[in-house]
Amino acid sequence: MTSAASRVLAGVGRPVVGAWREARGLAGLFLDTFVAVARGRVRGREVVHQMYLVGNKSVPFVAITLAVLGLISVFQVATQIKQVIPDFTMLGAAFMQMMVREFAPTITGLMVATRVGSGIAAEIGSMVVTEQVDALRMSNADPVEYLLVPRTIAAAVMMLMLTIVGIICATIAGMLIARSGFDVSFKTFLNFQLLDAGDLALGGTKALAYGLAIPVIAGRAGLTARGGSAGVGRATTQAVVATSFAVIVLDFVISGVSYVVFGQ
Amino acid sequence: MSAVSGFFASIGQAVLNLLRTFGGACLLLGRVIRSLFPPRFDVHETWRQLYHVGVRSAPIVAVTALFVGAIMVLQSAYFVKRTGATSLLGYGVGFTVFAEVGPILIGLMFSGRVGANNTAELGTMVVTEQVDALRALAIDPLRYLIVPRFIAMMLMLTLLMVLGDLFAIAGAALTSDALLGVDWRVLVANLIESKLLDELVMGVVKATTFGVAISCISCYFGLSVTGGALGVGRATNNSVVANATAIFMLDFVVGWIYSL
Amino acid sequence: MIRFIDIHKAFGARTVLDGVSLDVDTGEVLYIVGNSGAGKSVLVKHLIGLLRPDSGRIELGGKEITWLTEHEFYAVRMQCAMVFQNSTLFDAMTLVENVALPYRKHFALKPAAARERALAKLDLVGMRSAADWLPGDIGDGLKKRVAIARALTLDPSYVIFDEPTTGLDPLAAAQVDDLIRSLKHDTGVTSIVVSHDLRSIFGVADRIAMIYQGKILIDGTPAEVRASRDPIIDQFFNGRADGPMKI
Repeated sequence: MTSAASRVLAGVGRPVVGAWREARGLAGLFLDTFVAVARGRVRGREVVHQMYLVGNKSVPFVAITLAVLGLISVFQVATQIKQVIPDFTMLGAAFMQMMVREFAPTITGLMVATRVGSGIAAEIGSMVVTEQVDALRMSNADPVEYLLVPRTIAAAVMMLMLTIVGIICATIAGMLIARSGFDVSFKTFLNFQLLDAGDLALGGTKALAYGLAIPVIAGRAGLTARGGSAGVGRATTQAVVATSFAVIVLDFVISGVSYVVFGQ
Repeated sequence: MSAVSGFFASIGQAVLNLLRTFGGACLLLGRVIRSLFPPRFDVHETWRQLYHVGVRSAPIVAVTALFVGAIMVLQSAYFVKRTGATSLLGYGVGFTVFAEVGPILIGLMFSGRVGANNTAELGTMVVTEQVDALRALAIDPLRYLIVPRFIAMMLMLTLLMVLGDLFAIAGAALTSDALLGVDWRVLVANLIESKLLDELVMGVVKATTFGVAISCISCYFGLSVTGGALGVGRATNNSVVANATAIFMLDFVVGWIYSL
Repeated sequence: MIRFIDIHKAFGARTVLDGVSLDVDTGEVLYIVGNSGAGKSVLVKHLIGLLRPDSGRIELGGKEITWLTEHEFYAVRMQCAMVFQNSTLFDAMTLVENVALPYRKHFALKPAAARERALAKLDLVGMRSAADWLPGDIGDGLKKRVAIARALTLDPSYVIFDEPTTGLDPLAAAQVDDLIRSLKHDTGVTSIVVSHDLRSIFGVADRIAMIYQGKILIDGTPAEVRASRDPIIDQFFNGRADGPMKI
């Protein structure tokens, strides 16, 4: 084989092999985490502590971003409606449906991926680099059980809570701008008639999926950190990108399955 | 009551942090702008940064855009099926992707891929005294490190927004064909007919603004790192959170200005 | 000639320098010694403007430089180079690119010309053969040598070495000592060395100044220091764990 050809093949092959290895490592970690949860070896107090860190501390961030999102969405859509057919009766209903189905879980997921994902990677990464994780192994504590399980459970639960908070904040913001910019009364806006169980299920599934994926992916990035502060920085970056990307891919997959299978 | 006041207190604290970051990043932006007129910055470094930023972020932006287009089709499809307005699919997807969802999601991915990396890199340089070493060699870190990154990130995100729009259309077309049975040619024709140039331009303007914000914020956090490895991780964490907040705020501001 | 005149510097509640006065004669090798945290690095960083004193004056070649702006300090830094404790090479560049950087920035040399001059400096420290390696590929001792080469690119009159042998194995430490010695003989550069490496101190120094509890405790030739009867000086320079020194 000519050297040019083999170089091209290597250039294509290397990232594919690398991606495959990453996927295998990640799958392994997912499995370990779920096995640990199934075994029931869960430290309740740590889970609650993590729920506080993931949930309560993310509330302002999620609240602000989703409020702004609600503001923007309603403003944009209402401006469009005003130009086409000035009938705002379904504005609130459509808005809330889109929020519940898509935007609230996904944007909340992205925000949590950003904040919590990088936080977990930074924390675990610096533990790895300062050899604290090795010390854990020495004391017979499995790092996955000790570090990842509480965070995974906490994140899954808190993602649901935060999505709800997000929906509330976005709705309030949307309501306010609809009223002040377009004279849509609160009652007209708060129209739940388009919302059905399917929408809630879809939104809820997404939120849960993101909550499970983010800590495991971020944890893996942290656990494979190498090399001092540069390594921690690299792991944190990797975590943000990987978790954000995972949220988007999961969004696509879940939306796709929901549409194809349930016509939703 | 203390839970409620605690809630408001944490919001208040978040706002204060926001203002402090905003102030710091603005000051940095001011210094960067002063180094641009007249242009006094390291050109070699700028080219290097353009290459690295572009190579690093183009793939992930392209793939993200692909998915974003696909997701928007799936979400709009639900409405379209309910109301039967298949001809509006192109318009609906195009509008949301070009004007809102595209800039925000591409901005967020860029912030993660490039912004976080930037903070981590600069932070590591601060912690290992490389920034002091530059000053000791009488080389201005602003002109050598910061301005090249600023230019690179601003230009790249603008270009990537255009690239992303193309890939988003591709993703939307593929999905509508495969999953909805709407021929992709119909979708694209629909899109072009919808005359979404304004929205496209607005999206690109948003992207440029995001680029300015992300570079200033990520550099600000990188330069103010203290405390070794954990400090770098924490700064990277704070940097992406601040970037995300800035993206949403600026999205609103640009959208509002455009509507005037 | 460098003069530190009554320098005071505190970080928050912690007073590090409490009235330090010190002269550095042109062409000599002065060792500034003391325990960790005594303020040695803090003192020398004032010389190139990385820190500013709370009070006191610093003179370089007869001119006062205490309150120059960052920009004005660039001229000082061309005269007075610093080799940092962690070597602080730029990780993203090769060794020769590290050394070539000041040539490209200050003399606007093209990459090829800058590389030539950089290779010459690397030759001085015996690192020419590793020119195209990355800092991550070599050990601390070799990094230190490259850092010294980089500091010499601007042909400074003064060079500050911040703990040049700390963390190096004995062989590498001896090689750095040799470099510092030969610098003085070959180029007449004034060297200020911050250190607590006893073997280097007595092997290389023309003069030794010790900082203890924020003040200069002794300032004299190695012979004078060895002859001192002060119990604290005795404890420090004989490397004893017990004694009157408060750490």
